[in-house]
Amino acid sequence: MSVDLTNQALQAVELAKAAGADEVAASISQNRDVTFEYRDGALEKVKDTTSQGLAIQVFAADRYSSHQTTDLNVERLKGFVAEAVAITNALEPDEFREITPEELFKDRPDVDLDLVDPAVADISRDQRLAWCEAIDTVARDHDKVISATAGVYDGSSLSASVSSNGFSGTQHSTYCWYGSSITMMDRGDKRAEDSFYVGGQHIASLPEAPSVAGTALKRVLSRLDSEKGPTVKATMVVDSRIAGSLIGRLLRPANARRVQQGQSYWAELLGEKAFSDKLTIIDDPLIKRGFSSRHFDNEGISAKVLPIVEEGVVKNLYVDTYYGRKAGMVPTTGSASNRRIGTGEKSLAQILSDVGDGVYVTSWLGGNADNTTGDFSLGIRGHMIENGQIGRPVGEMNVTGNLRDLFSRLEMVGNDVYPYSSTLAPSLVFTDVDFSGA
Amino acid sequence: MKIKRRDFLGTVAAGSAIVTMPGFLSGCGVQTATAIASATPENPFMDWFGVDQAVVARVMSELTSRGADTADLYFQHTRNNSLTLEDGIVSSANSGIQQGVGLRVVIGDQTGYAFTEDLTMQSMLAAARTASAIASGSQITSPQSFNPLESGNLYTTTVPWADVGVDQKLPVMKFIEQHAKSKDTAIEKVAVYWSDGDERVMIATLDGKLVTDHRPMARVTVVVTAKKGEETQTGYSNIAAREEFSWFSEERLSKMVGEAVDRTMIQFEAKRPPAGEMPVILAAGASGILLHEAIGHGMEADFNRKGTSIYSDMIGKKVAEPFVTVVDQADIPRERGALNYDDEGNKAGRTVMVENGILKSYLHDQISAKQYDLKPTGSGRRQSYQYAPMPRMSCTFMEDGPHTKDEIIAAVDHGIICETYTNGQVQIGAGDYTFYVKNGWLVEGGKITAPIKDVNIIGNGPESLKRITMVANDARLDTGGWTCGKNGQSVPVSQGIPTVLVSNMTVGGENVS
Repeated sequence: MSVDLTNQALQAVELAKAAGADEVAASISQNRDVTFEYRDGALEKVKDTTSQGLAIQVFAADRYSSHQTTDLNVERLKGFVAEAVAITNALEPDEFREITPEELFKDRPDVDLDLVDPAVADISRDQRLAWCEAIDTVARDHDKVISATAGVYDGSSLSASVSSNGFSGTQHSTYCWYGSSITMMDRGDKRAEDSFYVGGQHIASLPEAPSVAGTALKRVLSRLDSEKGPTVKATMVVDSRIAGSLIGRLLRPANARRVQQGQSYWAELLGEKAFSDKLTIIDDPLIKRGFSSRHFDNEGISAKVLPIVEEGVVKNLYVDTYYGRKAGMVPTTGSASNRRIGTGEKSLAQILSDVGDGVYVTSWLGGNADNTTGDFSLGIRGHMIENGQIGRPVGEMNVTGNLRDLFSRLEMVGNDVYPYSSTLAPSLVFTDVDFSGA
Repeated sequence: MKIKRRDFLGTVAAGSAIVTMPGFLSGCGVQTATAIASATPENPFMDWFGVDQAVVARVMSELTSRGADTADLYFQHTRNNSLTLEDGIVSSANSGIQQGVGLRVVIGDQTGYAFTEDLTMQSMLAAARTASAIASGSQITSPQSFNPLESGNLYTTTVPWADVGVDQKLPVMKFIEQHAKSKDTAIEKVAVYWSDGDERVMIATLDGKLVTDHRPMARVTVVVTAKKGEETQTGYSNIAAREEFSWFSEERLSKMVGEAVDRTMIQFEAKRPPAGEMPVILAAGASGILLHEAIGHGMEADFNRKGTSIYSDMIGKKVAEPFVTVVDQADIPRERGALNYDDEGNKAGRTVMVENGILKSYLHDQISAKQYDLKPTGSGRRQSYQYAPMPRMSCTFMEDGPHTKDEIIAAVDHGIICETYTNGQVQIGAGDYTFYVKNGWLVEGGKITAPIKDVNIIGNGPESLKRITMVANDARLDTGGWTCGKNGQSVPVSQGIPTVLVSNMTVGGENVS
């Protein structure tokens, strides 16, 4: 299968060369995706699809362009590729446009990342239904439940990438996720809602379906009678399940493109102690069964472990080949893989006990950050921390500040890494955070 | 449910988020179409997809081989083009073609879905069998041919984007860049992002309709980065519409550039407002984001038929002052959210969600309309052939009210006025929603005083509606390139509003004591 894809990608490279391209990179992908959704005791939706696509990057006379198509008909592909080259030639020359050089893709690691579970291809309709029914039974086991959806999502992706200067690689992974979204009647017209889903490349690594539904139900129950929280300066404990997205916001401008475009507060931070020494962020593409594990990145650059922040000191940025050349930075990788976030010794319960009073944030609602300045403001919901315990549920609050400043006040990190994400983060504790509410 | 201004400012985190979701019918108008087909030359859309009436009928028959209340074939071809100008040169282009057919079977509220990108009979029949597996009945009578409906004229173009070369767009992008640079010496960098595309859809339905639509779209964004001393600020503006090349006049582009520069430069002076509850004035135009989040999503009937929306039991009830009327309307010529027909082949039109303060109508697709025994409102939309349709907004706005902008500002002793936004989000059940304010102003003693920036605002949908105490007479739709995301599907939308006063909302701010 992957041999066929590699050959198809090579044909696209040849077509582009024949149409006048100097250098070409091409990849062909094939995805299978199956969705089973079950709601309130009955199957609601079944979706079963196979998709395909070609992506091609064309370098011609110091010019560059990229193109994608789902139409792999051989005759029409010829026209598509010829037009891709013609578009490239119509652009302006740019001395920094160059195909990924060999030295960045040779010596690729070949560790087994264990990303394929052959059993995923054999998941039967009956198995999916059994999971759905098991989840549905638990998820609706409360008299306040209005509606519960059980979902099973599984599939695989396979791709082959080649380039005119000798790169060739394939990637194959499977996935299986399941869980539940539950809505309960709350006060007045209000409904409480929450969800919990788990997933991985391997079916055997997943917790039992009923336990997943149980977690979802517990999460919704904890939201009942939520009220608007106070306007207060307080300690913020961010739950490990949502810590990854806050780290993601922090890192959004930590790349050569933003720096070169003058839109990053990270520009001056390389080599500096910019954050609390509790903050360590390692980009690690080589984690076995990692959600974003890989042997090479989207430019073909060989995968390697890349420290971004170590004990508060900025060690590296995400640097792709183009903006790296433009900004005079050595390429690392332009695209994030898995992120390992430094952990501490304490459990969430111990952390809450140490904190005593504050706000325990369990989900974000909207909000944004300015990549240039780091100023942010995010909607939240969670619980008040009262006497070291999880207290009353609160919502309709914002947390506002500056990301660099916030992460300089990272006071504690937990030992409770959330496993169902490519960012492996523990709970995080920040001091003196501005909350707005009632 | 999220709405995002632009993809490239707010890059989506590389997580492994999942969650996806999901269609009426009619008797089978079999007899009608046969005679017509033989007398009519083949539809140009049929030629485009390389199929004919007989092929579509054969696939529909396979799709309904185990029964169906409704079923449709959604053929789509999309061609998008984009160009990037950075550091003075247009040095990157991208083009993308997406082509395929989505096949859907609906029984009650159960949906079977499959698609194929290979438009051969063999592949389409295989996909039809996959989608039909949701049903367990026997073959029903399906149409032998399909009756073409009159095509719409909301966004007819004389020149399709496929015929506009890079050489025509380059000078326009350069004009934008140079115009921006000339506005202020503190401007260090200007980036211009161009995107355009043609989308062709052909929908064949079980009740024998054949709907075709050619949907153009274009969007241009300018990003400005300026430096004063050690401080750097970035701002942007964009315009989008179902338009053709000639729409991008110098005047229109200059206005966009002026906005981007103004929004950037004001940030050098702007501060965070105090945190907490206060009156919030929403400036006319983009502030329609309030409606999108506070009520629009909650009025999508899929949530209501399941009972999961805070608005599930409110039809016919008073939800706002009598001067509040909120509409979702798809038949507004050339707007980004405009549609001739929805993605289920129903005529798209005007749905009054709130009329003079009374909650009137949800936004229906075929599945919800059947459940409520109503006609669909033409709100069934999908991102592409790869997805099943669900109820969505198009152009969402509030009608003019009895007040003036000046009266509203004068009525606020201590609050803020919000002008530009990047994104918003809502929780359907609880009704809590947010939007992020990029630029705005403090209002003190009935006057606009100092600039503010970067604050999230959070409120509760039904509570905010009740707190709309003043509505001005200056309603307008925003021309920004808004994209709405729901259950993993993105669709273009428009939004608008007159100047409005919400008497109390929670504003993110700093310097909490």
